[in-house]
Amino acid sequence: MDTYDTADDDEHPMLNRLIKLGLLLLAQGIAVMLMAFVALLVSFGTSWSATTEQASLLQPGDARSGSLLLKGDGAITEAIRLGIDVDITVSGPTLRTRVTQVFRNPTQDWVEATYVYPLATGGAVDTLKMVVGDRIIVGDIKERQQARLIYEEARRAGQRAALTEQERPNIFTNSVANIGPGETVLVQIEYQEPVHQSGKEYSLRLPLVIGPRYNPAPIVQSVDFRKDGSGWGATTSDPVTDRDRISPPVLDPAKTAPVNPTSITVRLKAGFALGEVKSHHHNVKIESPDSTTRIVTLADGAVPADRDFELTWKPLTDKAPSVGLFRERVGDADYLLAFVTPPGAEQATEKPMPREVVFVIDNSGSMGGTSMVQAKASLAYALSRLQPTDRFNVIRFDDTMDVLFPASVPADAAHVGEATSFVSALQARGGTEMVPAMRAALADKLGDTGMVRQVVFLTDGAIGNEQQLFETITAMRGRSRVFMVGIGSAPNTYLMTRAAELGRGAFTHIGSVEQVEERMRSLFAKLENPAVTGLAAKFSEANADVTPAIIPDVYRDEPLVLAAKLDKLAGALEIRGRVGDRPWSVTLPLQHAAEGKGLSKLWAKRKIGDAEVARAMRELAHEEADKAILALALDHQIVTRLTSLVAVDKTPSRPEGAPLKLSELPINLPAGWDFEKVFGERPQIPAQLRERHADAGTSPAMRRPTPAAPDAIRLPKTATSAELKMIAGLILIVLALVLFAFNRRRPLLTNAA
Amino acid sequence: MPRLISPLVLALIGLFLFGDGAYIHAKARLAQMLLERAFDRSIATGQAVKPWSWADTWPVARIEVKRIGASAIVLEGASGQALAFGPGHIHQTADAGERGTAVYAAHRDTHFRFLRNVVIGDIIDVTRRDGRHFRYRADSSAVVRFDASGIDATTQGFELVLATCWPFDAVTSGPERYILHATLIGTDKSPTAPATRASVAHSTTRHTPVVASPKDSP
Repeated sequence: MDTYDTADDDEHPMLNRLIKLGLLLLAQGIAVMLMAFVALLVSFGTSWSATTEQASLLQPGDARSGSLLLKGDGAITEAIRLGIDVDITVSGPTLRTRVTQVFRNPTQDWVEATYVYPLATGGAVDTLKMVVGDRIIVGDIKERQQARLIYEEARRAGQRAALTEQERPNIFTNSVANIGPGETVLVQIEYQEPVHQSGKEYSLRLPLVIGPRYNPAPIVQSVDFRKDGSGWGATTSDPVTDRDRISPPVLDPAKTAPVNPTSITVRLKAGFALGEVKSHHHNVKIESPDSTTRIVTLADGAVPADRDFELTWKPLTDKAPSVGLFRERVGDADYLLAFVTPPGAEQATEKPMPREVVFVIDNSGSMGGTSMVQAKASLAYALSRLQPTDRFNVIRFDDTMDVLFPASVPADAAHVGEATSFVSALQARGGTEMVPAMRAALADKLGDTGMVRQVVFLTDGAIGNEQQLFETITAMRGRSRVFMVGIGSAPNTYLMTRAAELGRGAFTHIGSVEQVEERMRSLFAKLENPAVTGLAAKFSEANADVTPAIIPDVYRDEPLVLAAKLDKLAGALEIRGRVGDRPWSVTLPLQHAAEGKGLSKLWAKRKIGDAEVARAMRELAHEEADKAILALALDHQIVTRLTSLVAVDKTPSRPEGAPLKLSELPINLPAGWDFEKVFGERPQIPAQLRERHADAGTSPAMRRPTPAAPDAIRLPKTATSAELKMIAGLILIVLALVLFAFNRRRPLLTNAA
Repeated sequence: MPRLISPLVLALIGLFLFGDGAYIHAKARLAQMLLERAFDRSIATGQAVKPWSWADTWPVARIEVKRIGASAIVLEGASGQALAFGPGHIHQTADAGERGTAVYAAHRDTHFRFLRNVVIGDIIDVTRRDGRHFRYRADSSAVVRFDASGIDATTQGFELVLATCWPFDAVTSGPERYILHATLIGTDKSPTAPATRASVAHSTTRHTPVVASPKDSP
């Protein structure tokens, strides 16, 4: 510092100078401290929110203010007990799942329970049954509003009622009204789903957890606490005090009273001799009554449903059946489900065709953070997979665009190296102008027909002009195939799926950096193996309504799955396409189709899915799409966004006013049910239950927000540092003025001395 | 001369900080003006119009509280980038006028500064990008933690939540959020249809009653 110089220069009024020096240092110290304070606050703010995000558990303090009844990971309180039994029957190409939920009310009050649960996206829910005592009430399909009205009415009238609604295509809610004190009500739903096939592996997935990405419905809600001050159940007294104890482990209700166990049984009738049958995430016991049948049960009885149940099976022989044809007659129409695995794999792997790949990477502002890291890692992996015979190019875009090479270049070490460093230098910034980038990627400059042309598009799809992008793809796709790679936790799935469909490619979603390699490898397996292209299906005699309407390309090991509604079961189904550069066709005589189950529902569910997509894409007017969906749903008895299943037990159960005094009388369980299994000594499942009291005066508005799912909607940070900065700035300016004034006065003081 | 340097440096840093803070406000103001124009064009064309060519978001709705003369254009998404320019519509929540809860969040010191003046019973008008108009009435408010908002996104009702940071006058950011809840009372097309379910009083909840005098506001 300059302090020593000044001290050496002028030593005469030593004391005076020292005082000033001290003051100066003091002022500087204050300024430095101020700056440090500002810096600290800024950094403190971010690190603070980072830590709290990790510990997103409910704090006792919050529980007091709201009416939360559960912990962050979904543990359920004592209030209503729930047991779940899942029974899956696989018959050939389809599987039928019966989910039985047991609602047991150990409290002294009449309650209503609402249970939110996940189902497979392709599942068509068509049956709702409510078992009360020895009575079984079968639900009817109704328009959503109407079903809700019926339910609300029954609830008010004190009748037991059950309602199944679709919240999202893969999230459903069951509500059960008027469960008496100590009473048990069974609610059973059934759904139909196609078996998934990939290569020679068949699989089913039973989702038991709602992924955080869906941010599903909220959880335990008990809005009116006035009446239950007396206490709920035996182990814990008051739900409010109970809430306070949820986050510390001491009195975790999940430990003191185990609830909501899930048991799973799979009856597997594959229709062919079975080889390996494997459960990926659960220990199972597998019985084999004969070569084509397996019965799979959980080895440890019921489990907490904290992960999805996944079962895969393979045929005994090395070759999977390459064709499957199933039919079902419902009403006056025949429904057909066809599986065809084209012969792609063997012939094609011998001589991989050289490819021209154009990679497009989105480096717009919305990709900032982990999305950009994932996108770069994916692209780096993709570049490393290129063969020297391939040609490639890289395009990056935000609201501007750069094309790395004027035209596609051979994928030699030098070019790949150049591309890799270009990619690793990308920064996320700016807007998202996707259309020019897509246009540039689709421009087929080489025009070399000896090469397969592929566009790999990495983006989060955060754009509003989807339609424009679709038009571009449709107009310019030529012989190019568009592969969409969705990046980040919430990519625009509609955009991706539709763009890939129009571009006759595939959609891959990468949600985390860990998934990059696995997902990109499977994408490349598709890219490297020429697909069966130009597919078309034709029925020789029957008039058919086929879904999907435009048949996408089929990649290695993937079967082509077609569902159709026919006016008569006659003639044959001919599927034509091209494998590599050779024409390929297969003819399936319809009279050889085997009897299948629930095919009409699968067809309807896919048609509804098509209509939903068309609606979202504004290809169909909202009203028109809704009309089509409603007609299909009512015809085929399927729960959709617009239809619900409702069951009402006409016998009034809850008397007006005086609550019934019932002791705990477990009802008779249906055959094959093991009470211990369902109510076994197992911890909670992270399923979500919300409840309210079946108070006749309760209005629908009572279900309103108040309590919180800690993983529900997270509110963003909504304070700017503007005021902090302005205040700090002002203080500094004032300080500077004071110092300046002090300095101006100092010469006078020195002179005077 | 050296004795002039430290006040000069201090003044410069001070000016810079002040300017930086003022810039945030200026950006918020200017952006709203541009957004206003883009939104009007959105309504006219029926297409999403970006307010400026390099924008990564687009206006989706206009919120107005006529009683206090407040208005703001809401952007799609609630990323930090978007929030600098206007209130953000949080992903995964419903659109205004749809079944479910629409959640809009904005900075307490810029676009949602007016929230402190909104009282229970105030009418909040929301105009959507497609030109449809929805009328909500504020019926409750609460202070919650950002990760325990208690907002029921998939509610059966037609609801709206405006969220901002709490407390209003704090200088640093904290975990608390102020949420103002409102329920649909009418639309431009059929002002009576949704009102039937929305107008049911819910006096037994912990919420402030629907009918409340301005004194009840927090």
